[in-house]
Amino acid sequence: MPDTAQVIETQGLVKRFGRFTALDGLDLSVARGEVHGFLGPNGAGKSTTIRVLLGLLRANGGTARLLGGDPWSDVVELHQRLAYVPGDVALWPSMSGGEAIDLLGSLRGGLDDARRDELVERFELDPTKRGRQYSKGNRQKVAIVAALASNAELLILDEPTSGLDPLMENVFQEVLGEAKERGTTVLLSSHILSEVETLADRLSIIRAGRIVETGTLAQIRGNARTSVHATLTRTPAAADLAALHDVHLDGARLTATVDADGIGPAMSALAPYGLESLTVAPPSLESLFLRLYEDEGDAAGAR
Amino acid sequence: MSAPAAVTGAPRLLRASLHHEARSFAPWIAIVTALSASSVLVYPWVFPTQADREGLATLVGSNPALGLIFGPAFDLSTADGFNAWRALALGGLFTALGAIFVVTRATRGQEDSGQAELLASGVLGRSSRLLTAVAMGLVMSVVVGVVSFLVAWACGGGVESTALLSATFTATGWMGTGIAAVTSQLGAEARASSSLAVATFGTLFILRGFAYSVEAADWAIWINPLAWMTETKPSVDNSWAPLGLAVALTAVTLAVAFVLQSRRDFGQGAIAPAPGPARGRTRSPFALALRLNRGSLIAWAVGFGVLGTVFGYFTTAITDLLSADEGIAQILAAGATTPEDLFGAFLATIISLVGIISSIACVQMVLRVRKEEMEDRVEPLIATPVSRPRYYAAHVGVALLAAPVFLTIAGLVIASFASGADIGVTFGEALGQALVTVPAVWTVVAVSIAVVGARPRLAIAAWAGVVISFALTLLGPTFGLDDWVLGISPYYHVPHLATSAYSWGGLAVVALVGALLCGVGFRGFRHRDLATS
Ligand SMILES: Nc1ncnc2c1ncn2[C@@H]1O[C@H](COP(=O)(O)OP(=O)(O)O)[C@@H](O)[C@H]1O
Ligand SMILES: [Mg+2]
Repeated sequence: MPDTAQVIETQGLVKRFGRFTALDGLDLSVARGEVHGFLGPNGAGKSTTIRVLLGLLRANGGTARLLGGDPWSDVVELHQRLAYVPGDVALWPSMSGGEAIDLLGSLRGGLDDARRDELVERFELDPTKRGRQYSKGNRQKVAIVAALASNAELLILDEPTSGLDPLMENVFQEVLGEAKERGTTVLLSSHILSEVETLADRLSIIRAGRIVETGTLAQIRGNARTSVHATLTRTPAAADLAALHDVHLDGARLTATVDADGIGPAMSALAPYGLESLTVAPPSLESLFLRLYEDEGDAAGAR
Repeated sequence: MSAPAAVTGAPRLLRASLHHEARSFAPWIAIVTALSASSVLVYPWVFPTQADREGLATLVGSNPALGLIFGPAFDLSTADGFNAWRALALGGLFTALGAIFVVTRATRGQEDSGQAELLASGVLGRSSRLLTAVAMGLVMSVVVGVVSFLVAWACGGGVESTALLSATFTATGWMGTGIAAVTSQLGAEARASSSLAVATFGTLFILRGFAYSVEAADWAIWINPLAWMTETKPSVDNSWAPLGLAVALTAVTLAVAFVLQSRRDFGQGAIAPAPGPARGRTRSPFALALRLNRGSLIAWAVGFGVLGTVFGYFTTAITDLLSADEGIAQILAAGATTPEDLFGAFLATIISLVGIISSIACVQMVLRVRKEEMEDRVEPLIATPVSRPRYYAAHVGVALLAAPVFLTIAGLVIASFASGADIGVTFGEALGQALVTVPAVWTVVAVSIAVVGARPRLAIAAWAGVVISFALTLLGPTFGLDDWVLGISPYYHVPHLATSAYSWGGLAVVALVGALLCGVGFRGFRHRDLATS
C-alpha cells in the first residue's frame, strides 16, 4: 500500500440514514504524524465520519482514503495499522477489564506488554473487575489502554475522555503526547475545545455533516476576531466605529469584535471618546465556535 | 385520590411496557396452548379403542421415567385425563419460564442496559418498575391460561377440567413471577437472576416427578409448590383448593421481593460476582464466541443428556405399546409393513424431535450476534483486523458445531436404550440416525444465519425455520397434509436408517438449501451497515 503523506483523506463524503443526511460532503484530511483535532457539537457527524473511516458504515457518496487504502474494502490490512477507542465503550458483562484489553490487543496482533502494565497503573485501572461493574469512565480507560498499548501507527479516538475525571484527563493528555512523540498519527474527536487545544497540531471543525473550518490553531484564531470591552466617557457616534464589528452599546459601555489586523484602527477610533477601562481578549476557541454557529444560523435564516 | 408515592407512574409504565413486550409473550402462549390442545385433538385418533387406552395406562404406569417429566397419570381413559397428564407439568413449566424471562427483562435487564436509570430518574415511584414487571408476569400467565383454555375447549376438552388445567398454568406462571421477582433482587445481573429462578424451578420440577415416581410420603409432595398443581387432579377430582396455596405463595414471594428491592442499591444484587482474572486468555473471535455461549452450551448439553434418557426410555416402552396394538398387529400380519420399518420411522421421529429442540439452542446462539451488535460490542472487534466474515463465522461456527454435539449426546443415550430394547434397531443405526439429522438442523439454523446477516431488523424471523419445521413434523401428519407441504420441513427428508429402504437425495437438497441460506447471511453481514446506537 502506498505510503502517502495524508493518513486520512476524504472528499465530498456523504452518509445518509434513511432520509436524514448525517454527512453532507465532508472533506477531511489528516497528515502523517500529526494530532488532528476533530471538533464539533453533539450530532455533528463525528462518530459517523469515524465509523465510515473504520468500514463500519458504508458511505453513500464521495471518497475516503485511509492509510492509502480503501476503508471499506481493505478493512483487514488497514485495521492492522490502527487502533480505535469508541465514544461509548461497551464491555462484555462477564469478562474482566484485563481480559477485554488482552482480547482486543491480540485481535490487533499483540500488545506491548510492558506498556500495557504501565498504562493500567497510570490510569489506576483495576483490571479484575467485570465489565458490568465498571463506571463509564473506567470502561473508557479499558478501551484507551487497549488502544494505546498497541503499536498502531494511527489512533482514532472518538471523544475518548468523556467520563474521565480531570486527573485522568491529564494522564490521558500525557500518554497521548508520548504517542505523538513516537510518531503516531492521531484523529482526536471532541466537543470540548480545551481538550484538543494543547495537543492538536491542526483542527477541523465539523458542523451538520460538513467541515466548516480547518487549519492550525493559529490559523483558525487568525481568522477569528478579537473581542473588545471598553468603558468610554462619551457615547461614540456610530459612523466612527466602522472598524469594529458586532458593536453593542449600553450607554457608554461598549462590546465589539475586531479583525486580527483591525486592532490598531479600532483603538484609534475609540481613543477620542475617553477610555476609562479596556479589555482586549484574543479569540478563544469557544468564541470561535459561537461565531461559526451564528454564521450558520444567519445562513439558515437567510434561506 | 392519589396512588402511593412508591408506585407513581406504574400504570403508564405498564401500558408502555405491555405495548413493547407483548410480542415476547407469544411463543409461550403458543407452546402451552399447542401442548394442551394437541392432547385433546390427538387422543381419540391415537387411542381410539378402550383397549388402546388401557394399554396406554399400563405403559405409563410401568414406566417411572415418564413420570419424572409428566408426573403421575391419574386417569388416561378420557381425553381430558390424558390432557391433564400430558400438559399439566410441561405447560406450567413453560408458563413459568415465560414469566421468569418477562420479569427479569423488565427489572434487571433494564438496569443492565441503563434504560432503567432513565426511567428511575423520571416521575416514577421507587417500586413502580418492579410493580410493572410483576404485573407483566401476572398478565402473561393469565393470557396463557385463557388462551389455552379457549383453544383446548374448542378442540373438544371438557369445560371444568380444561379450565382447571389452564388455571394451573396461570398459577404456576404466577409462582414463577414471584420467584423471579425475588431472584431479580438477588442476582448481580439479568442472566444470573433468570438462571437462579430457572434453576429453582427446574429443581422443584424434577423433585416433583421424583417424589411421585417413588411414591414418596405426603409431606414430600405437599412441600413442593409444583406438586400442588398436580394435586388439583383435573378431570379426576377437579380440586380447585390447591390453587389457593399457589396464590398465597405468589403473594408472599412478591412481598419479599418488594422488601428486598427497597433495601438494595440500584443496579446491584445481593450476590456480587467474584473478581475476574487480570490477564485474558480469550484471544480469537472463535474463542470469544465459545466463551459467550459457554454457559448455554453446558446447560443445553446436560439438557440433551436428560432428554436422551427420557426418549430412550420411551423407545423401550413403545415396543410394548406397538406389539399390544391390534391395529398394528393386523398391518404387520398383512405384510403391509415390517416391524423394522415401523421402529425405524418411530426412531427417526423422536430423533427429529431432538433435532428440533437442538435447533432452538442453535438459533439462540446465532441471535447472540444481533444482541452483541445492538449492545455495541461488535464495533470494537470489527475495528481490529478481524474481518466481518471471520467474526460472523466464529459465532455461526459455534452454533453449527453445537448441533452435532447435542445430537451425539442425545443419540448415544437413545442408542444405548434402543439397542437393548430388542426392536431390531442396532446401536449404530440409532446413533447414525442422530447424525444424519444434523444437516436438517443446520438448514433450520441457516434460516437464522440468513436473517441475522442480511435482514437483522426482522430478527424474530430467525425463528421461522424452527417454528415451521416443528409444526410440520409434529402436527403435519395428523392434519393429513400433502407430502409436498410436509416436505418443506427439512426433517421430512432425513433418511430412516433403520428401515429397509431409504434415499439420500432429499437430504442433499436440504443441505444445498442450507448452504445457500448461509451464503445469503454471510453476504448480507459483509455488506450492510453495522447497527450504531
Ligand atoms: N444509525 C443511525 N440511524 C439514524 N441516524 C443516525 C444513526 N447514527 C447517527 N445518526 C444521526 O447522525 C447524526 C450524526 O451523529 P454522530 O455522528 O453520532 O454525531 P456526533 O458528532 O455527536 O458523534 C445525528 O443526528 C444522529 O442522530
Ligand atoms: Mg459521537
